[in-house]
Amino acid sequence: ILRSRLFRRNLLLIMGSRPAAQVGHSRKVYIQRDYSQGLGLRYSTAMPPQLQDRMPEDLFEAAIVNINQILAGAENGSVGVYAESCFACLTGYLIYMCMDTHFERSLKEVRKLIEEYNRTVFMPRRLMMIDPSERGLRVIEVVLLS
Amino acid sequence: MPKRWEVYPGKSQVLCSGRCISAKNLSVFYLTLALIVISSCLFLAFDCRLLAVTLSPSVPVLAAVQFIFVLCCLLRTTFSDPGIIPRGTPDEAAWIESQLEGPQVDRDGNYRPPVRLKDVQINGRVFKLKYCFTCKLWRPPRSSHCSTCDNCVDRFDHHCPWVGNCVGRRNYRYFYLFLISLSVYCLYVMVFGIVNLVLLSNMRKDFLMAMKESPTSVLTILVAFFSIWSVVGLGGFHTMLICRETSTNEDIKGSFNQRRHPDLINPFDQGNGLANCCFVLFGPVTPSLLNFREDEIGLGSSISLVTNNGRNGASAAAASTAVTATPAVRYSNLTRNNNDAASNSVGHVNNSVQVISESLPAQLPGDGNDVIVKNGNGAPADGVISGGTDAVGAQNSNTQSASSVHCIV
Repeated sequence: ILRSRLFRRNLLLIMGSRPAAQVGHSRKVYIQRDYSQGLGLRYSTAMPPQLQDRMPEDLFEAAIVNINQILAGAENGSVGVYAESCFACLTGYLIYMCMDTHFERSLKEVRKLIEEYNRTVFMPRRLMMIDPSERGLRVIEVVLLS
Repeated sequence: MPKRWEVYPGKSQVLCSGRCISAKNLSVFYLTLALIVISSCLFLAFDCRLLAVTLSPSVPVLAAVQFIFVLCCLLRTTFSDPGIIPRGTPDEAAWIESQLEGPQVDRDGNYRPPVRLKDVQINGRVFKLKYCFTCKLWRPPRSSHCSTCDNCVDRFDHHCPWVGNCVGRRNYRYFYLFLISLSVYCLYVMVFGIVNLVLLSNMRKDFLMAMKESPTSVLTILVAFFSIWSVVGLGGFHTMLICRETSTNEDIKGSFNQRRHPDLINPFDQGNGLANCCFVLFGPVTPSLLNFREDEIGLGSSISLVTNNGRNGASAAAASTAVTATPAVRYSNLTRNNNDAASNSVGHVNNSVQVISESLPAQLPGDGNDVIVKNGNGAPADGVISGGTDAVGAQNSNTQSASSVHCIV
């Protein structure tokens, strides 16, 4: 237990909210929101220069594009989404104590996708992508692990 | 481990253990509430006695229904998150601020403050994004920083002291509904108060006598009359704003004022007023980004990602020795089946890390050939770290260097 606590503490140091100067070996890169197509949830597909030596650009872009696709689906409605909202309104929104909204389900999908990407693509290249929900949907954080 | 609402840095008031948020100073809100509740009670108790008998019992019933509706809209506006954007972490702030030009002294010796604007093109119109030094983030278009609540609000309309909260993207429709329903209700109360007085004076044949007999009617009518001017006026103003798909803040600043700047278009305008109305009142709403009920650990999924998929016993043992050497993350045996994720999960995170075949392409481009993992012999293993094979990234210790690479995923 003590060993895992030590381990978690080190992780906290690397990825937590302590200033970058204290982190030491790890650096972070932030991918900002892309507002060129409007106010919808999109992240910029431009690859930051710090990642260029660690992974190919098209791979990175494909990952961000996939994330953007799910997020776009989160904000767009479909017949199913409208029906679900109407039904929720009829129940006085009490139904949302038992289930998630369409948006929250999409965010969970994004989280699963990012976990999968971390496992298969980013971790082997000593990178780690942090779910944007953890950062208030402001940025996608990519940690450069040493 | 503190919850996020306990470490919230803004000036808003967090209530009910993180379930509600409002402005700190609610005194004017209490006044609004008192006005509505007291005049409604007076109306229902006194005026409706005659009206229910003379006209119809549906008069007080309708009044009660409207009263409850107005209260619900008001409470929803006051206590819900208007669309507050959570503040940036210190690392984000350091990253962004390092990319801004710092404060400089130019050749004339004039001090130039740090540049905090960047241009962004949205639907053909150039917007200037501002960097908020308080919240440490690039403010999205249409959002603004509320100085009363000390946080940035998405699609900031205005801070309403009568309602006791900012009006932003998430609670604008409830604010508008409150205005409309309150104007209808004020009209209803005023009309039926006057009807009550008229009926009473007809029965007593003397208007002044009727007024003395039912003084609360006079009070209710006066309150309703004076409220109507302001509420209906505001309601009409907001109806116009909705049809033009602009916010009070933008209207005041003249961002989309075509008379002043004829080439300024509103890139969010959907074309006609009805479409704008439908979008503003019935469009999608993001859930609250504040997540007040969660633990403030600053990590969230990253901890769960790293701890729940690894076998904590074996991996921690292998990792701990390396951890004390350098702070680099260690990787341990990476296999495909992470079914014991549930036992190691942290809180709310969904732990099914199976391949999401419908949302992930079968193989990301270029994935097949560029990740080569060395095994213990130093020869490259032929496992590719994606898709199907297991025992990928198997325990490989490069004995020459101190940093051995074990995958903990």
